[in-house]
Amino acid sequence: MMSDITSIPGDRPSAAPIKIFGFAAIFLALAILPFVWDNRFYISLITQIMIYGLLAMSLDVLLGYTGLLSFMHNAYLGIGAYMVGLFLIHVSPTSLWLACLVGVIFTGAVALPVGWVQVRTGGLAFALLTLAFGMMFHTIVWKWYSVTGGDDGLMGVPSPDIQLFRWTVGNTGDPTHIYLLTLVVVAICFVLTRRIIRSPFGAVLEAIRENEERAAFVGINVRRYKLYGWMLACILAGIAGALFILYKGYIGPTTMSAFAGAGVLMMVLLGGMGSLWGPLIGAGIFIYIQDYITTMTEHWEIYLGLVVILLVLFMPTGFVGMGSYLKRMRRN
Amino acid sequence: MEAFLCTDDLCRQFGGVTATDCVCIDIEESGLRSIIGPNGAGKTTFINIITGRIPASSGKVFFQGSDITNKPTHELVRMGICRTFQITSIFQNLTVFENVRIARQAHKGGSLKIFSTKRSLKNVSVDTWDILERLGLQDQAHQEAKNLAYGDQRVLEVAIAMAGSPQILFLDEPTAGMSPGETNHISRLIRGLAEEISIVLVEHDMDLVMSISDRITVLHYGSIIAEGLPEEIKTHQMVREAYLGKDA
Repeated sequence: MMSDITSIPGDRPSAAPIKIFGFAAIFLALAILPFVWDNRFYISLITQIMIYGLLAMSLDVLLGYTGLLSFMHNAYLGIGAYMVGLFLIHVSPTSLWLACLVGVIFTGAVALPVGWVQVRTGGLAFALLTLAFGMMFHTIVWKWYSVTGGDDGLMGVPSPDIQLFRWTVGNTGDPTHIYLLTLVVVAICFVLTRRIIRSPFGAVLEAIRENEERAAFVGINVRRYKLYGWMLACILAGIAGALFILYKGYIGPTTMSAFAGAGVLMMVLLGGMGSLWGPLIGAGIFIYIQDYITTMTEHWEIYLGLVVILLVLFMPTGFVGMGSYLKRMRRN
Repeated sequence: MEAFLCTDDLCRQFGGVTATDCVCIDIEESGLRSIIGPNGAGKTTFINIITGRIPASSGKVFFQGSDITNKPTHELVRMGICRTFQITSIFQNLTVFENVRIARQAHKGGSLKIFSTKRSLKNVSVDTWDILERLGLQDQAHQEAKNLAYGDQRVLEVAIAMAGSPQILFLDEPTAGMSPGETNHISRLIRGLAEEISIVLVEHDMDLVMSISDRITVLHYGSIIAEGLPEEIKTHQMVREAYLGKDA
């Protein structure tokens, strides 16, 4: 029957040319943006959007693909950021890549035992454990004044040069340079994560999301794969943390608060989970609205809350689902 | 001779209730064994223990000579012990093809290839199509499982279990809620499978059980009260009492 093995139906083909083209176009447009639009404020805002977009995307790996809810994924951004900052301050103020590597590995080293405990549960218990661990981490950085600077935050983080092989291509203290570095790193993370999600490994995560018991009954070691998914999400969050500290030169404990964690969750829901690119859009919507409302009132949380409530009620699938929503509207 | 799958005084209590009471059973390497009994006889609990869904309170389960009591589910599946569920358990938002493909992948390996495409596991895809064709699901391959008719979902559940290349397959009321036509389709399928592997069928439909079983085990209040060929069970005094009451 299956004479032509190379064209087995049933698998989605890898990225269609139009999608690759679209991705390349967006990337190039963003790459030339700071050279044609000399508005430092917005360039900086977009940098922040991309960093939180990466964090929201990493949460989507958990929420949208593995079916696990983390209330405080920002904790792992924070751990990565603090570690990179501490390394730059105390060990070597010029070793950008080494600092990032140490920060990301440290994030993974913290996430591993936490994940080992958490994957013994699922559903609500898992979500509550993420909250419990996250609050512990938040308190540690808040109270451990001698190391983290307590509620003053970690200040005086140096801005290392960006070196590629032997060439110095920029400095992280320059808004345009850190913008471009962020763009490249986030784009690489997006492409790699998308590849991973669509791999046989990604299929295992989706099976766990769909039906954990069934997954175990087809021979999947559910705990182990949940832990892999968790580690992937936390390492991506750690990378976002490294970018965060380089971009801001500062981090305070509020970045790791439960309140900020809820914000990341909202980004994923606003954008639409289970798509990877949706949360990137969601981060854009969230941070733009937050910034816009802040210019009018300092109680931005109230208005942002209202916007989120309306969006969740009328656009439950987020930005990603808007296409099919509009189609339905037109038909009616 | 060493038994293929057997239990030794297997017990399970829920609070004060004994759902499985010192059950010793021997299951052959191939053929169709049915487990019947009135409602609440402990049939599902019994296969839940063997397949690792719930732990045993005491007693042992042996498979091909090794003790498999209370082993993790995924290890049992890798050893060739697969099952279906009374309440349909499938991957709702995946396509029919993806449902079977992931089960086949879990069996064949390759789940850690994080940078490969799914289609790079060619054997997995080819095997998946073979299974879908064998079960007559190939035309629905690209539908999402949740959109299938109920009967087809039950067939899909069998397809997922078969993707694990089981040596022994436990079917928990596979025909529950099916139309006569669908029941007919699945019973022929089960009978065909029983020529190759060992099937353990938990079923309420007596006509079906009597017509396709090689041997029948009757459970009542968690214990085995009878075991034998279908004709023997039909006329067994205790079985009649269990089902119809003492005066029957």
